[in-house]
Amino acid sequence: MITFPVRFRVRQIGIDGNTMGSSRILLCEEPGAFLVGKTDEADVPLTGDAVSRQHMSIVLTAEDVRVRDEGSTNGTYVNGTRVDEQVLEVGDQISIPGWLLELLAPAKSAASATRIAGVEVDASLVSRLVITDDDAPPPSRRTFPEMEFAGKDTVGIEALRASGHPVEEVKFCAVGGGLGSFVWVDHLRCYGISASDIRAIGTEEVCYRTYQRYCKNSQIPDHERLRSNALSRPDNIWGFPGYAMREVGKGIGVKGIFQVFGEPTLSESYTPRAGDVFDSLDVEAKRIGWSDMLVKAQVLGLRKTSDGRYAVAYKLWGGEAQGEARNRYLIADVVHLSTGYPATRFVDDFQTFITNHPDSRAQVANAYEPHDQMYAEAERRGGPVQVVVRGRGIVASRIIQRLYEARNKNPDIRILHSMRTPIGPREGAVFRKARRLVRNNVEIQPFNWPKSCWGGDLRVEYERASDEDRGIMLGQLGGTTTAERSDWIAIAERGAEEGWYRPVYGNISELQPLPSPGPEQPDGVQVSIDTVEGNIETLNADYLIDCTGLIADIRRSPFLADMLDTYHLPRNHAYRLKDGKPSQGGATGLRCTNDFEIEGLRNNAGRVYAAGTITTGGPYLAVDSFLGLQYSALRSVDHLVTERIHKVRNLGPFRSFGGWTKWMVGARP
Amino acid sequence: MIPTLAGRLQTRLFLFLFIGIPITLAYVFILAGWKWDYDIAMPFLLFLVTITGLGLLLDPIYIFIQTTRWDRDWPFAYQFFFSWVEFAVVFALARAGLIPWLPVSVEGQPAPLVDFSSSAAIGLALLHFTCVFIPSFFALLGPLQAIFVRWRFKGGQFGKL
Repeated sequence: MITFPVRFRVRQIGIDGNTMGSSRILLCEEPGAFLVGKTDEADVPLTGDAVSRQHMSIVLTAEDVRVRDEGSTNGTYVNGTRVDEQVLEVGDQISIPGWLLELLAPAKSAASATRIAGVEVDASLVSRLVITDDDAPPPSRRTFPEMEFAGKDTVGIEALRASGHPVEEVKFCAVGGGLGSFVWVDHLRCYGISASDIRAIGTEEVCYRTYQRYCKNSQIPDHERLRSNALSRPDNIWGFPGYAMREVGKGIGVKGIFQVFGEPTLSESYTPRAGDVFDSLDVEAKRIGWSDMLVKAQVLGLRKTSDGRYAVAYKLWGGEAQGEARNRYLIADVVHLSTGYPATRFVDDFQTFITNHPDSRAQVANAYEPHDQMYAEAERRGGPVQVVVRGRGIVASRIIQRLYEARNKNPDIRILHSMRTPIGPREGAVFRKARRLVRNNVEIQPFNWPKSCWGGDLRVEYERASDEDRGIMLGQLGGTTTAERSDWIAIAERGAEEGWYRPVYGNISELQPLPSPGPEQPDGVQVSIDTVEGNIETLNADYLIDCTGLIADIRRSPFLADMLDTYHLPRNHAYRLKDGKPSQGGATGLRCTNDFEIEGLRNNAGRVYAAGTITTGGPYLAVDSFLGLQYSALRSVDHLVTERIHKVRNLGPFRSFGGWTKWMVGARP
Repeated sequence: MIPTLAGRLQTRLFLFLFIGIPITLAYVFILAGWKWDYDIAMPFLLFLVTITGLGLLLDPIYIFIQTTRWDRDWPFAYQFFFSWVEFAVVFALARAGLIPWLPVSVEGQPAPLVDFSSSAAIGLALLHFTCVFIPSFFALLGPLQAIFVRWRFKGGQFGKL
């Protein structure tokens, strides 16, 4: 239940990324939909060149608070992730160009509604209200596609045509428009499907934009290297020649070839530069005609049609069309879902902190949300700056490296590395006869799963295992790891020696704001840690960067949630060993077959497949990786071949070699 | 490619049939002076068969080694190294006359045309194996994927997923 008034703190952001002026409060006193934009008709008018006239809506019902992009040119972001429509939780930050809106916890009393942390705040942004009668549909209900879709699990094509919205028919439709969609479409094209039979619907012009944003936020700019294998290239379904060979061809160096030869035992594993991956994706996008297939739109819903196909409702973004003309239907025989992470979600204590102490929001960040200003401030400030980095994964390694670089400008930056427990050199995870390597209390693994999960014996075994056994294997083989990089190891060792890096072990039990020690001095955050020895250690830090990762909660995407509810789609589950017996934990991804088909959506000849993080806990461990996307694409397109319903021809040795030759010379497939 | 046992066996046989045999035939053809000579060809073919056979026997051991590695993988460097170990073992055994179908000279009998115990054989066998090994090893580094698009996900097995 939502307590009204719902409060947002609104701050203006300058070009340098810092907040300008004082914060204001937006009070929404009753359920309704509030338009935010540059137009005078907007309920919440916000100025700025990059703000669209109708930028987004804030939709409040008794059940939840949502943000919905209204087809803005520059997009609406929640915690750094571009969204179409998103259910918000307290502490979530909505950003649109030049503005930051943050959902605050409900006020304890009416009188305190306009106060943040006890300080009275300018409440000039009280929204104009849309009062609703009980009989009238709540204003949050949109008429599209609800008029045709609501309460139905099958729709007729005639009814869709009669709705007056444009209806287009196509054979294959990829929903998402990101890397997962791209890899699937790339397979279809290489299997000989014409570009005119394919549509990919997504909100980004470029398939890797979301991925690139996560990379940038977690401090991997284009020239830094990713954690990925030489032969895992999403722009080439054959994976050959790999990125290492590409670097030789481009004259960057031959070191990569020797790394590939010796990895991971004799040399550090080779990994490609982010920029190289993006450049080669651009080339492939051009080759397969991605821009001709891409529809820049947000997908609102999916229904089976009475003639054994699917209706995909979408709303065009940008472009010429205005208002109702943006709402359209696409009828497709085969649909592929790859919508990625619905949004960044914070771990509980972090969530509690930002809920209770909105004023200290700038002091804490999740590594996947934009937080460049922290480094900028830390570099600018003379004198000591303490940063707590939480977590020991690959992101934590990179963040620590970034802080190490910041020490060039401010040598007084100190890093406190918060980890739950120390891990001794012989205490790594165990799977049967093998044990994971540990360096400096961090488990080491070249990639985010043991290599044989992609194509070795573990792939076969995991696919054949029961739900319980899959869950147990996932637990044993998963876990937080980082790559063995000599520069990272050197930073930890040198830092410990020189006293500017210190690991701290224990659970973070409490986060409290630390009042500014004086004027011109920013606030801090006090981190209490239940140490392994049983004491409570209190760290006074300037910043806390949480690197514990992204949580994929597929229900936070209204599109997926609607489908889960309409078709009662089963989900995968986590499993834990309890007294030697597997016990079921929380729901994870969308359940799919070994061919990545969502069986609950089968509709005569119609087929729906999925890929990526939304299939977590399914038939494959490494779904959330370049190679994993290629694996699932291969499985699902091969499944179409086997079923012979949709006239997809097999890619046997001769056709495969022919297709590869075309790739090599850059000819269209 | 991270090999499985079935994948190892299949890939080894595939490389033997489609790279090993053609190259051996070409090699002995040139060695015999651009003509076919059964007595020169057979020892080299049998030599390669023996190495392949030994490899098939060793594959389960390699798989066992993989299971002791956390990633359960097989670095290219290992592939390189163990290929030459297989060659060295077979050659040493042949030289000692312990492999009945690989000819060595016996005192009191006419010397065979190809004599694995002779010093000349070291060079010839090394050159032969190098010619077979280089393209086979490079095929594993990726070119096979261009022809068999599912091979890398099947641990070296052929066919559908």
